Amino acid sequence: MKIRYLALPLAVLSCAMGSAQAQQLIVNSYGGPYEQIIRDTIIAPFEEEFGVTVVYDAVGSSSQDYAKIKATNGRPGFDVVVMTASQSLDGCRDGLLEPLTTETVPNLAHLNPAISAVAGQCGAVHELQYLSLLYRTDMFETAPDSWMDLYDERLKGSIILPTFNNVMAAYMTQLMSVIHGGDLDTNVDPGFEAMTRLAAQTIGFEQSSAILESYIRDGRVSAMPFWDGRAQLLVDSGAPVDYVLPQEGSVPLIATLNVPVGAENKQLALEFVNFFLEKSSQERWVEGYKVGSARTDIEVSEAARERKITTEADLEGLYLPDLSSLAANLPEWGMRWEREVVPAAR
Amino acid sequence: MSSIALKLEGRRLIGLAPLRQYLALFPPSLVLLLFFAIPMGMMIGLSFQQQGSSEFTLHTYGRFFGDSFTLAGLVRTIAMSGLVAICVTVMAYPVAYYLARSRSRWRPVVFALAIAPELAGVVLRTYGWLIILEDHGFINNALIWLGVIAEPLPLAKNMFGVVVGLTHVILPFGILSLLTSLQGVDPNLEKSAQILGASRASVLRHIVVPLTVPGIVSSVLLAFTMSASAYATPAILGGAGFKVLATMIYEQVLFYIDWSFAAVMANVLLVLMLAVAFAGSRLEARLHKKLNV
Repeated sequence: MKIRYLALPLAVLSCAMGSAQAQQLIVNSYGGPYEQIIRDTIIAPFEEEFGVTVVYDAVGSSSQDYAKIKATNGRPGFDVVVMTASQSLDGCRDGLLEPLTTETVPNLAHLNPAISAVAGQCGAVHELQYLSLLYRTDMFETAPDSWMDLYDERLKGSIILPTFNNVMAAYMTQLMSVIHGGDLDTNVDPGFEAMTRLAAQTIGFEQSSAILESYIRDGRVSAMPFWDGRAQLLVDSGAPVDYVLPQEGSVPLIATLNVPVGAENKQLALEFVNFFLEKSSQERWVEGYKVGSARTDIEVSEAARERKITTEADLEGLYLPDLSSLAANLPEWGMRWEREVVPAAR
Repeated sequence: MSSIALKLEGRRLIGLAPLRQYLALFPPSLVLLLFFAIPMGMMIGLSFQQQGSSEFTLHTYGRFFGDSFTLAGLVRTIAMSGLVAICVTVMAYPVAYYLARSRSRWRPVVFALAIAPELAGVVLRTYGWLIILEDHGFINNALIWLGVIAEPLPLAKNMFGVVVGLTHVILPFGILSLLTSLQGVDPNLEKSAQILGASRASVLRHIVVPLTVPGIVSSVLLAFTMSASAYATPAILGGAGFKVLATMIYEQVLFYIDWSFAAVMANVLLVLMLAVAFAGSRLEARLHKKLNV
């Protein structure tokens, strides 16, 4: 008898718990300034529109998150993750990430096709940054406008570079390769040669973007390559720095939203991805996080239009590396970097 | 009656004693099997595959042993761990000796200070050393201000910085390991030797040190293995050019996403540690034998 009395409340409770769980989405991304901006510009409006709760998981870098996806065979415990296009391609090839289509994520149709193609089938490109030349305004009489300005004798011992396990190093090598007569993927000898000469100008290498940033903020270095989004946040913080897109051009850092194949709330995860790619969301993100977008129909402030990737013309001005080829080349390039570039800094 | 009871008790003891022994070993064995032996087996299996393939191959081992860069990482790991093991043991011995013999009221304070570094996390302590040792750190700035040097000394981002940082991190373990050994040496032996005319140095050399060889060996082994597997300190204090096996494994797992190559490196590290542990135990046995003769 007692069991019969208990059965109904238990069934109701179980249904309630089930529906409560379905209404909770776990989004894994970055901490620091990123967290507050994404909460204000994307997560809060999403929660309001869909009547759900988003649990924000800021633990781990995108590399660590990807390792977690790989180790758990696509069931890492979060539903949406922010990664790079390279990780997106790798995870898609191994069947660890959910392929995205315009049926499941309709806003994919509004992204620039060339940029979307670079990220592959499992990545929704939600932001673009370009490699900029960040410099101290109090240490330069005239603003630099070329990557070649980094070779100026007066900058010896006043530059810092990323270590090779920060993907910025590989992109910088590819860019230098193109500038010095090579190409992005097959003939990168000129790039390594140029980076070796540049390393001789530096005080060394650091891996994390936060530590690299501290060097220029406190004046230990006067110039360095840096992603334009973080560079803009540094400018806005009041540090005596500014950044340029050098005349020779740049390469983009393509960030993607991904859904692991084993995501518990897959449908809601796809809704979140689609919501992030909405025109209004992209406009808020570009203005908030100071980055570019692969949607060229967005309407943003003049300041953002001037300095961020927001138009077809901006996108056409970027060198787009073949990320599959880059992933295949990374181990060999990494060894080469350690042998040729790193010793030149000592 | 009592004799029957004793007999039964005796029988039960004989029959169940081995089972009880194994019963006690069961939980830790199960934990080790699940969380150590099985993952270790998977890692060993992974090392005999090439990334993206499941066929058996020695190719990844060939890559490791055929590349001067990875071999340099192995040699650097051995050199770093060896230096730390020596520094830790040499520095820990006098502290442990003081703690074992002193009856001073300051003894608890010294003991607390000896293990105090363990109260802070390793990353925190390592960044502390970076602030002290880097080019614009406390030491270099002080020496430049005093006019002793014109250019900063290379104290960080090299082997020196890493050995200093790791010695600090591992020193408490060395002290505790030697303390146990020193406490096992009867102080009357030292007193007797001194009464018979031996100097303090002679007592240390001929009595204390030989009797604490097991403690010295275990301190060296502990410091070596802890250094060889340390990641945070070499990564922070070593700088970009300072690659040891632990930092190389991290890069292969997280950046290059080549888990087979990472597994090879992890196995090489494991074999290195087992070889050092084996050599250490042989050395200890030999020294013991020599002392008994």
